[in-house]
Amino acid sequence: MTTNRRQHTLEVLVENEPGVLARVAGLFSRRAFNIETLNVGPTEDSSISKMIIGVAVEGHSLEQVIAQLDKLVSVISIKDVTAQAKEVHDTQPDYQN
Amino acid sequence: MAKHVPTANGTEMTGATSLVKSLEAAGVEVMFGLPGGAILPAYDPIFDSTIRHILVRHEQGAGHAATGYAQVTGRAGVCIATSGPGATNLVTPLMDAAMDSVPLVAITGQVPSAAIGTDAFQEADIRGITMPFTKHNYLVTDPAEIPGVIAEAFHIATTGRPGPVLVDVAKDALQKMTTYNWPTSIKLAGYNPKTTPDAQAITDAAALIAQSSKPVFYVGGGVIKANASAELRQLVELLGAPVVTTLMARGAFPDSHPLHMGMPGMHGTVAAVTALQKADLLITLGARFDDRVTGKLSTFAPNAKILHADIDPAEIGKNRHADVAVVGDVRETISALIPALKAALAKSQPDLSTWLRQMNSLKATYPLGYDVPDDGSLSPQLVIERIGKISGTDTIFTSGVGQHQMWASQFISYEHPRTWLNSGGAGTMGYGVPAAMGAKVGAPNATVWAIDGDGCFQMTNQELVTCALNNIPIKVAIINNESLGMVRQWQTLFYEGRYSNTSLESKRVPNFPMLAESMGCVGLSCERPEDLDKTIEKAMSINDQPVVVDFRVHRDAMVWPMVAAGTSNDEIMIARATAPDWDSQEL
Ligand SMILES: Cc1ncc(C[n+]2csc(CCOP(=O)(O)OP(=O)(O)O)c2C)c(N)n1
Ligand SMILES: [Mg+2]
Repeated sequence: MTTNRRQHTLEVLVENEPGVLARVAGLFSRRAFNIETLNVGPTEDSSISKMIIGVAVEGHSLEQVIAQLDKLVSVISIKDVTAQAKEVHDTQPDYQN
Repeated sequence: MAKHVPTANGTEMTGATSLVKSLEAAGVEVMFGLPGGAILPAYDPIFDSTIRHILVRHEQGAGHAATGYAQVTGRAGVCIATSGPGATNLVTPLMDAAMDSVPLVAITGQVPSAAIGTDAFQEADIRGITMPFTKHNYLVTDPAEIPGVIAEAFHIATTGRPGPVLVDVAKDALQKMTTYNWPTSIKLAGYNPKTTPDAQAITDAAALIAQSSKPVFYVGGGVIKANASAELRQLVELLGAPVVTTLMARGAFPDSHPLHMGMPGMHGTVAAVTALQKADLLITLGARFDDRVTGKLSTFAPNAKILHADIDPAEIGKNRHADVAVVGDVRETISALIPALKAALAKSQPDLSTWLRQMNSLKATYPLGYDVPDDGSLSPQLVIERIGKISGTDTIFTSGVGQHQMWASQFISYEHPRTWLNSGGAGTMGYGVPAAMGAKVGAPNATVWAIDGDGCFQMTNQELVTCALNNIPIKVAIINNESLGMVRQWQTLFYEGRYSNTSLESKRVPNFPMLAESMGCVGLSCERPEDLDKTIEKAMSINDQPVVVDFRVHRDAMVWPMVAAGTSNDEIMIARATAPDWDSQEL
């Protein structure tokens, strides 16, 4: 059995405030969304930080991940910056294809 | 009570006074709380405030009371507690309010900012703890931020999809001097709830409805939150399609209406459950496809297209794909849908008569019912049914969680929104008494009955002391089946009647009427069907004190119908091992 997972990269602007990383990480964890990578950096506006989040969408649709993220008051905007939505396969190849 | 005079911006005061002035400016009239060290500075200005502060006996009571108040008034409920254990006692009501979308603002004291992170006395990271089930939360360490944060908290709690917001304030921020500055506007870059639905979505929705020959209105608690009952009724009567109201929506549409098929879900009526299963379209209004409604999701409403209207975009497609989604305030949505549907129906009017005949036949064949025991003992359903009848449809009912809750949702007729308050999403035992207290404070002229279980009552009955001392004369019906009845029912059905730890022996201990009397309430008891009506009437006649009635009912009654957890709605049972007679129904 293999699972087809789609890797997406989201660029998320958040309020630069204590606890914001915990809010985002906690959301992914409690909703069982898969975070693959997470980078946090500054923007030109010191009150706003930028998170680059690599997310592997499996059971949940990308829309659901984005909609839940968007509910966080500290999240200002979300952009799907996936260069090319690529198929990510688990270690075992999918022989059924 | 002194009349509230707005405080001028630019006035110098302590952070604590600023907090209380901010709560006044936010329009708070009542709050429920209990002081302690970290929040103590705020309790000094509370002493002089126009806000009525009701001193509870347990912070959980404060949280559920604030919820009951909010559910009845539609305004934000407010609770306040100290740091550490005071704050963690609010965790359950916050989770409860999040699950049922209740506007709540919780204020907690925190240890002084210099001590944060040191495991100081009564330090708990309540902001971290409550992140998963608050809409938003704050830790305030700078007193200048207090008015802005309080304004934001009320804005967030009451707009969009309502929910709880927690504001944790460090003790030194309460003690320091600051300049009061109530904001003139609120700007939150990351919070812009969309209330007006897209015109195109409304057109698509109307077209979808006009094509359907088996539509059902699947009505959720959002309709009550949005005060959309009158608009809903217009829409329903325009189309003439059957309606189901979920556990959170009981009262959103009158039970007496001929198009009402009852409540869907695990203990829903055969007609309501079957309506969803056989429909070709669910007109979903402020509902969220909860597992207690859908049963096994993959077999839920298999032939239905989904029209999903909700204020929360994240509910769209979360559990079930929506063919047409309408994001917005459900009252605005329904109001826009009425003319759009009129226009669509003018072009093509589907014939719903066969569908309605089928549904009405199911409704007539499988009404809710119960067996009356032949040993002369009291049946719990009869008790609840009689309270509903005698007290009438203007009564506000709250309940605990368990069998009594399901019977109260089934055997009381709800005609008006905001008359049925219960813990739906969280299933919080102990909700009933404090929620009734808050409801009575919010609607002092209404009769408020808590239909409680003997188990639930023993979790939060201490708030009856609060009720007795603060002139909050609620009425409590303990449905005393000497058991954790709902769990016992599952043991009967799924664990061969092995009753592990579900017997409470509460016909022996405690003596509920004596317990009630000791808390300043009137305590009554009733054991025989022939005493039932006069006991209820006695309770109805007492309006200057809380009343508690110990209804000693037989313990083997079960809640039916039932869709067992994890099974399909198609496997609904009307009694043990008894399915409806589908062959005799044309479906
Ligand atoms: C705080 C909490 N603990 C445990 C449960 C699990 N539970 C659900 S119903 C129930 C029994 C409730 O007993 P009682 O209040 O007597 O109501 P009854 O079912 O007998 O009417 C229990 C233990 C719960 N819902 N909430
Ligand atoms: Mg019980």
